[in-house]
This record gives sequence, structure tokens and C-alpha cells, in this order.
Amino acid sequence: METVLSITNISKRYGKIQAVSSLSLDVKKGQVFGILGPNGSGKTTTLSMILDLIKANSGSYQWFGKPPSTAGRKRIGSVIESPNFFPYLSPVVNLKIVADIKGIGYADIDRVLQLTGLYERRNSRFKTFSYGMKQRLAVASALLGNPDVLILDEPTNGLDPQGIAHIRELILLIAGQGTTIIIASHLLDEVQKICSHVAVLSKGRKLFDGRVSEVLAISDSMELSARDREALALAVKAYPSYHSMTLEGEKILACFSDPVDPEILNQYFFGKGIILTHLSERKRTLEQHFLELLRDNA
Amino acid sequence: MIKLLKIEFKKILTYKIFWVLFGLYFLFLGAGLLMAEFMINNMVDNMNRHSPIPFPHVNIYFFPWVWQNIAFFATIRYVLIFPGIIILILVTNEYTFKTIRQNMITGMSKAEFLASKLLLILVISVVMTLFLTLSTLIIGLSHTSGITLQLVLQKSSFIAGFFVTMFCFQVVALFFGFILRNTGLSIAIFTLYVFIAEPILYHLLKAPFVFKNDISTYLPVNSIIRVTEYPAIPVLKQVMGLNLQDSVSIGACCIPLLYAVAMIGIVYQSLLKRDL
Repeated sequence: METVLSITNISKRYGKIQAVSSLSLDVKKGQVFGILGPNGSGKTTTLSMILDLIKANSGSYQWFGKPPSTAGRKRIGSVIESPNFFPYLSPVVNLKIVADIKGIGYADIDRVLQLTGLYERRNSRFKTFSYGMKQRLAVASALLGNPDVLILDEPTNGLDPQGIAHIRELILLIAGQGTTIIIASHLLDEVQKICSHVAVLSKGRKLFDGRVSEVLAISDSMELSARDREALALAVKAYPSYHSMTLEGEKILACFSDPVDPEILNQYFFGKGIILTHLSERKRTLEQHFLELLRDNA
Repeated sequence: MIKLLKIEFKKILTYKIFWVLFGLYFLFLGAGLLMAEFMINNMVDNMNRHSPIPFPHVNIYFFPWVWQNIAFFATIRYVLIFPGIIILILVTNEYTFKTIRQNMITGMSKAEFLASKLLLILVISVVMTLFLTLSTLIIGLSHTSGITLQLVLQKSSFIAGFFVTMFCFQVVALFFGFILRNTGLSIAIFTLYVFIAEPILYHLLKAPFVFKNDISTYLPVNSIIRVTEYPAIPVLKQVMGLNLQDSVSIGACCIPLLYAVAMIGIVYQSLLKRDL
């Protein structure tokens, strides 16, 4: 598959703070690529570097297999940090400036305003917009001229639940048309819902990358208890797909690397002469899993 | 070129502050030009009170001298500061609104961004030069008797000098804007530099024990304003012994233009190197 973006060992330091360290990534055509990490993990810095807003201290990147150029950037639509437009101009004029720079006509402006639900307000000044509307205009400007790649930095930040749902639907719609999308987010849930691939960042380092289904694969855990806790613990450890175990009061929380059927588990313990007094499944939330990923690699 | 100008015009077309400042500039310039003679004669009257031999009133609006006089009064610091501040605001706004970032990620190059601002300066300079040419012709024709084409055109090189001053002064403003990036700060520092810092430096360098030659006249703003050195007023020659220039010299235009080129170069380098 064609590589759209290739980042090689890119680093950026702000004084004492290493914002991004030796990051490498490949984004292929048609992927919806999530860059996931807590605040301050280097997501925006990375996106700013690949858009030539910030100079990297070392490392390089390529767009569409070529060194960065303005011609390459015209094929990319981006929303970076806050929405940046002339406050005294209407969305239409602001988008006309974007169209002029990209060298495309004004025919597409109405379409992107309608897609983002701003058409009714197309002639109001930008400064009269609420934050959510400003953010939607940024998305509209990124969509202008059907770019090959869409870069969205926290696209749902500051939106109300309805706005968040709307933008997510829009992203899925555009992804469905085969556009490559790169999304930075600190919301695991968002990445899980939208992305096909993900890279997890922490303190400027890449922890993992790969398919969302693989990286964020969730192993279920079981709450167990029995009269003889020691025997139970031994039996849990001896189970084939055993991963880890924590004690929670009277109960044992056992994690397994494969999904476990409670019936089979019950049979297993019964076979070992242990009679369970408590057995219940506990699904870890995605958020917990994400936090564990980060903690394990801190 | 045309594309960049189109973008620039969209940015200012409905920008109230731009038009208010530009209107004030026109008002100030027009009033200044029309009142210059009156104010000079007021000064002459004051001088005459203490002088045993009275000086005659001056007339500055007749051909061919009107070119030089209008060019002089249109390029004094108090008038030039207006287009300077306009440019400062337009440049620093791009940083305040972060629209320079938006322009870059949309696909504009840093060279194009700088070029678009320079084109705007060029257009403002051309418009103001045309305005001044027209005003001078109207004022001159209504104050001169016995007009011939040769008489009208004789000192018209001063209008070219005005254009050079206009362009270069705005480039200095652009320089301060791009380097400082903050509207309030850049206006304060630019104004302080033009009205206080450089004049002090000028007088320090002019002191005979510092430098023998006229190095002080080569300071940037001074060299830009001194393209038209003095108004053509006979009394200046008689009383102060000044050598009035006959025309705008190529040499006098070269120094400000060299400054402009150097400043544009520095701005471009800083755009390439600094993070946005």
C-alpha cells in the first residue's frame, strides 16, 4: 500500500523539555491513523513539525514519498490546535483565502459549510462564533477541495456532545471515501470509535503502534473467591492463559491473556477440588487499559 | 503575484482599523500639505518680531519648487508614522490571529507570505505617489502663473524620491513587525525608535569628536527621510546657509533601498529559522 506519510527519528526539544524524541511513524493510504497520548505527550508538536510550522531538531519526514514542499501541503487539509481565522471576516471570506492559497475555485465553499453545519451563518463575522462553531469552521477549511490527507488535532475539543457526534460522523463519512486521516487525541474512546490504526505516545516517545484492534486488545478479568484462598491462587497461576493476579480484599482479580469462559473456568477449579464462592466477569474499561499501557511504560 | 494581492486585499477589504487609520493618514497628510505654508509664515512672523530686518513671507506652492516642498512635508516623521503603523498592525495581526500558521499549513510558502506583504507595501506606495502627484499638480497649477510643461516637470524627480521614502519606511515597519510579532510591543518600539532613539543616536554620532564624516546621515530612518533633504524655501538658504538639492540623487535613494533589501533579507531568514 502507498505510504502517505513517513516520519523517521524526528525529535524536538524546547529548552529542557524533550517534547518529541526519536519518533518514527508510517501512515499508509486510506488509514485512519490515531495519535493517542495524554496532554503534553508531543502530539501537537509532532503534527506541527510535519506541517513545517516547527523545525525539528533532528530527523526527517516525507509526504507522498517526497521531501516536504508547499505542493505537498496543498494536498493536505489540517486543523491544528485552536481555529485560526481573521476575526473580522466572515467564514466565506476566510475560506476564500484558503481556496486562493490552495489554488482552487470557490465552488467547494458552500459544500464544506453545509457539511459542517455553518451554511446559515456563512456571512456572520468569525468573532461572533461560539468556540464549537469556530472549531467546525476549522474542519470546514481542512475539508476544502477534498484533500488527499486530513490532519485533525483534537477535532472534538471544546464541542458539546451533539457537536462531537456530528464531527465523528463526518470523519467516518470522509474516511469512507478513502481519504487518509491522521487524528491526534487524548481520548481513547474517540480513537477506538474512529481509527483503524493507532500510535500511543507518552512523553514524546512512541510506546506502541499498530491496528487499533491489536494495540488496544482487551483481556477480560475475573473476580474469584473461595474458602481456601491459597489453593485458589495456586490454581489460578497454573491456568494455561494466566496473565496476572491482584488481591482485592477477599477476592482475587485474575487477568487472562485470552478470553475465558466462566463455565470452563468453574469446571477447571472444580477439577482441582476448589469450590468457588464467587465468580464474576469484570470488563476493564478502555480508559483503564490505556492508563495501564502508559503506567507500564512510564 | 496577482493571486497574492487578491489574498492581501481580502484581508484588508472589510478591516475597519485599516480604513480608519488610512483615512486619518489622508486627513493628516492633506491638512499638513495645505497648512504648511501658513505655518511657515507664522514662524517667519515670529522671527520678524526679534529681527531688525524683516524676512519676506514665503510661497511654497509654485512650480517647480512645489514638488520638492510637498515631497518634504509628506515625508516628515509625523506623517510617515501612519502608513508605518498600518503595516505593523497588518503584519503582527497575522501572528495575533495565528493566521500565518493557517496560511502556511494551507500551502503558502514563507517566501510567498513575505512577498504578499511587500506587494501590499508596493501598492500603498504607488497609490500614495499617484495621490501626491495629483495633489501637487492641482496645488502647483493653482499657485503658478506662466506655466510651461518644462517648468512643471523640472523638479518632478522629487516625486520619485517620495516613492522611495514611502516604500522603504514601510519596509522598516514590516521589519519591526516580523521580528517583534506583537502588535502593541512593535508599535511602541517602532515609534520610540523613529522619534527618540534614532534622533538621539543621530546627534551623538554628529558630534564632531565622534566621527569626522557624516556617518549620522546614514542611519536607516534618517537616510529614508533625507531623500528629500529640505523644503525649497529661500529663507533657509539665506539664513542657515543650507545647500538646497536640485533634484533627488540616485545616491540618496540607494542607501534606503539597500537598507530595505537588507531588512527584507533578515526577515526572510528569520521566517525560515523561527518556529511559527
